[in-house]
Amino acid sequence: MLVVKHFARIAVLVVAAGLSCALLVKYAPGTSVDEREVDRRLSEESIRELRSNKAQNTDIGATLRRYMVDLAHGNLGFSQSNNAPIAALIADRAPATLRELAIGLAGGWLFGLALAIPKRGFSVVAGLLLSLPTALIAYLCLLEGAKSYLVLVIILAPRIFRFARNLLAQASSAPHVEMARARGVTEARILMAHVFPAITPQLIALAATSVAMAIGAAIPIEAICDVPGLGRLAWNAAMARDLPLLVNLTMLVAIATTAATAVSEMANPQ
Amino acid sequence: MIRALAIGFLIAVLLAALLPARYEKQFRDSPNAGPSRQFPLGTDDLGRDRLSRLIYGTRVSLLLATAAALLSCAVAAALGGIAGLGIADTVIVGAADLFLSLPWLFLLLMVRACLPLNVSPMVSVTITFLLLGALGWAAPARVVRAAVRKLSVSDFMLQARATGCPQWRLLWRHLMPNAMPILLAQLWITIPAYVLAESTLGMLGLGVMEPLPSWGNLLRELEGGGIAGHPWLLAPVLLLAAVVGSFQAVVEREDYSV
Repeated sequence: MLVVKHFARIAVLVVAAGLSCALLVKYAPGTSVDEREVDRRLSEESIRELRSNKAQNTDIGATLRRYMVDLAHGNLGFSQSNNAPIAALIADRAPATLRELAIGLAGGWLFGLALAIPKRGFSVVAGLLLSLPTALIAYLCLLEGAKSYLVLVIILAPRIFRFARNLLAQASSAPHVEMARARGVTEARILMAHVFPAITPQLIALAATSVAMAIGAAIPIEAICDVPGLGRLAWNAAMARDLPLLVNLTMLVAIATTAATAVSEMANPQ
Repeated sequence: MIRALAIGFLIAVLLAALLPARYEKQFRDSPNAGPSRQFPLGTDDLGRDRLSRLIYGTRVSLLLATAAALLSCAVAAALGGIAGLGIADTVIVGAADLFLSLPWLFLLLMVRACLPLNVSPMVSVTITFLLLGALGWAAPARVVRAAVRKLSVSDFMLQARATGCPQWRLLWRHLMPNAMPILLAQLWITIPAYVLAESTLGMLGLGVMEPLPSWGNLLRELEGGGIAGHPWLLAPVLLLAAVVGSFQAVVEREDYSV
């Protein structure tokens, strides 16, 4: 029952996100203009066809109906700005982003959690990293020749560190932990047997949040580091007002974020 | 820490009146000049005084982020408060969930990219301010809603209701003052988040437009490279880190519990 409820919530949110995105692009200033129309090489007929295609895509109701029918047949539509089927574009770009997210999240968690365990240290560095914008960190890393996933590690680690250290500090001062310490139980055992079990629900919730943080950071990172991933694709789609591509990518991001939240809520119903 | 921030803020606002040169004035005979007595942070490629631009940009970014944070906190207080009292709860929570279903930075960049880019500096400031304010209400609204729900069933509210306290007085005298610390905490959290968001937007060319300076478009200058030989180019980075770090220290040290 809980799973069904979560699936229903994800479905509603994803459709609402797609619809909101479509409305936003439709009413965005300049949507009706296509720069290809000023290309002198195009004939009147070609320009008429361009306008007709554009008009089809800006009719939100028709676009969504067509999209749902096509989706049922595994067709995500066609990207005008990339002149390619959207499914092929996503399939082509997804591996780079997924790899970046996987390594970034794994590294961020590893460093964030490992550095949070000692009671002192790294706070100043974490504070400094948290005080810099994502785009600047990406740019500084690019200057040093660092890979995009390393940028993600540098962005995620201090955020995870800050939450994890607060949680660990609270759990470490609980009366039963003090009692265990007084009885001579080793710190390693206290950590594994008392502290980590106590903070697992919060860490699971933080895991879902970190997925959203990583996806959000992927766009400026990919835009600045010139990574051919989904973040850069979304960025280009927004700049080109490519409605079908933007709706698909928004729904994809909404699915990833809400699914991560749903999994964390199912793993930790409290 | 709050005092230090307030003093910094005042200095940024007041110093702008005592700028060594106007932020847009171009000294055509000294482009890309190094630090000197006349230009303590040098000049950019158009010959504009970097110190003047940094001081004015600080004022723009801080005022913009504070105004946007006030806007989003006001929206959050209104919607979160209404939802917390049980009015239109499902609709407001649904709308907040919709906003939170997309990562904040993704949402911000997508929406900003869909709005006009070739606009005057003042219009770009207004767009950025409205965008940050309008898109950032969801998370604070959920916190305010939870606080109002908790407060509305608390003992002192129950007692006030039992003594026949009218509804408006309950809200004005009992609920709002007690929900204020939560709202204040949200404000302190939101301002640095918006400063950073504006900087990211600026670095991607979607923030405040030239010639008006802001931390975002000042940081964009770093994209030209050459930091190694020109350490003074890092002045906006240091100032940004100091200000955002101070805000974070305020949030960590103050007690904002209900």
